[in-house]
Amino acid sequence: MLNFRSIKEYLFVVVVGILSFLMLFPLFHIIYSVIVLGLPVIISDGPRFFTGTLSQGGIGPAIIGSFMLAFLSALIGLPVAFLVGVFAYEYPDRKLGIFVKMLLQVMQEFPTILVGVFVMSILVIPMGSYSALAGALALSIIMIPYVAVYTEEAMHGIPYTYREASFSLALTRAKTLFKILVPMAKKGILTGVLIGVAKVAGETAPLLFTAGGLYESYPQGAGGPVGAIPLLIYTLVQSPNPNDHAMAWGASLVLLLIFIGVFVPLRMSLKEVKF
Amino acid sequence: MNCKNALRTVDLRISYETEEVIKGVNLSIPKNVIFALMGPSGCGKSTMLRSFNRLLELNRKARVRGEVRLFGKNIYDRDVNPKDVRREIGMVFQYPNPFPHLTIYDNVAVGLKLNKLVSSKDELDERVKWALEKSSLLGEVEDRLKDYPSALSGGQRQRLVIARALAMKPKVLLLDEPTANVDPVGTKNIENLLRELKKDYTIVLVTHEPAQASRVSDYVGFLYLGELVEAGHTFKIFESPENAMTDKYVRGILG
Repeated sequence: MLNFRSIKEYLFVVVVGILSFLMLFPLFHIIYSVIVLGLPVIISDGPRFFTGTLSQGGIGPAIIGSFMLAFLSALIGLPVAFLVGVFAYEYPDRKLGIFVKMLLQVMQEFPTILVGVFVMSILVIPMGSYSALAGALALSIIMIPYVAVYTEEAMHGIPYTYREASFSLALTRAKTLFKILVPMAKKGILTGVLIGVAKVAGETAPLLFTAGGLYESYPQGAGGPVGAIPLLIYTLVQSPNPNDHAMAWGASLVLLLIFIGVFVPLRMSLKEVKF
Repeated sequence: MNCKNALRTVDLRISYETEEVIKGVNLSIPKNVIFALMGPSGCGKSTMLRSFNRLLELNRKARVRGEVRLFGKNIYDRDVNPKDVRREIGMVFQYPNPFPHLTIYDNVAVGLKLNKLVSSKDELDERVKWALEKSSLLGEVEDRLKDYPSALSGGQRQRLVIARALAMKPKVLLLDEPTANVDPVGTKNIENLLRELKKDYTIVLVTHEPAQASRVSDYVGFLYLGELVEAGHTFKIFESPENAMTDKYVRGILG
């Protein structure tokens, strides 16, 4: 027999279910539209879409540019982020530690376009040109707080008793941190790395004034301008030409595929350490 | 150094910020015995134990005054490196905490490797086997040294932690309620092991169970609210305690 309590419970489940669906609907809609509108473009252009330059009807330079930017920004940002995260974990009650943690939180919320403007003023203007390096620097500044916070939290999740165990074996603080605790927090740290890299790989705003965009030839090196898929999409959408819009849908699908193809398997493959 | 005590505290006081939790303890622990430090939860046993290998220094709020003499030498003297103290004194914890990301072999080897205490792979192999043998675990894990400790039972994990400590060849072994998270069979194995180990090591065992203290220890100290109420031969403390509180505690009325 239905009583008031079970009716309430039933209603609760229904409401939560509907709300969850409403939340997820836009996500599925985005994925659906990108596939429906992007796939025909890629199919009709064939392999040329992935290798050709923009005037040949391809986004090859943008794909290479995106990977280049992701790689360079990881190269600059990850070591810094890792060390900052470990520092924030190890010295939570020192003044500098407290300051660093606060700074990381502020940096996470910082408008990314301002990072672009900042890097333009310190690198692009003095160098006299847009460059992959400037783009990567802007991206790394955005990446650092994410990876650092994940690192700090992953380390924080390790029970205190392992720290004591390590010290009791006459290990120094440095060895305890880098030889014992960091390897234990590996999964959490690598998750942070993936999220940080994924985050910057999809960024447009910080690249507007730094990377320059390069779609008619492949990038020559870190000192020259470079394109990126999100930046290309932004440029193409602004064009009045419907062909450019079609290209933008195709590029969107490529971006989506890179994300699903690279990040999901990597994330799933990380091994959990059981305490 | 000629000195019959392994450990001796002189007016040991420990405070966290303004709160004093160990209030002037004078304690002597002879060599090659099992000394049980017993008392109700929260009376400062674990805190005091951690002052014996300077592990308390990990907590920046803790402050130690007085002396802890290890074979006559005060480990809180300015010229003493806490690392050297911890090489002389091994420790086993309440929660069996072998490093989960290391294999059984590497758990025993890790202290030796990272402190560069062995010069060759053969020497390391030998020392790991020796430590596992010494903690009577070798027979159970010999063919799965490459497995992770998650494959072991609670009692086996705790003996792995003992092996990890023994591999460093310490002189003293501190155990902080080592059987609190271990089943009765595992507890019995560990207690038997401790009786075996006291031939070569001085053992300080923290326990909140008077029964365990009476089963395994030679000497016992009763700590209550930060003070050492009574210490002496185990049979004496349990048969004819001088203090009324000790009497209540060992009869299970207090605590």
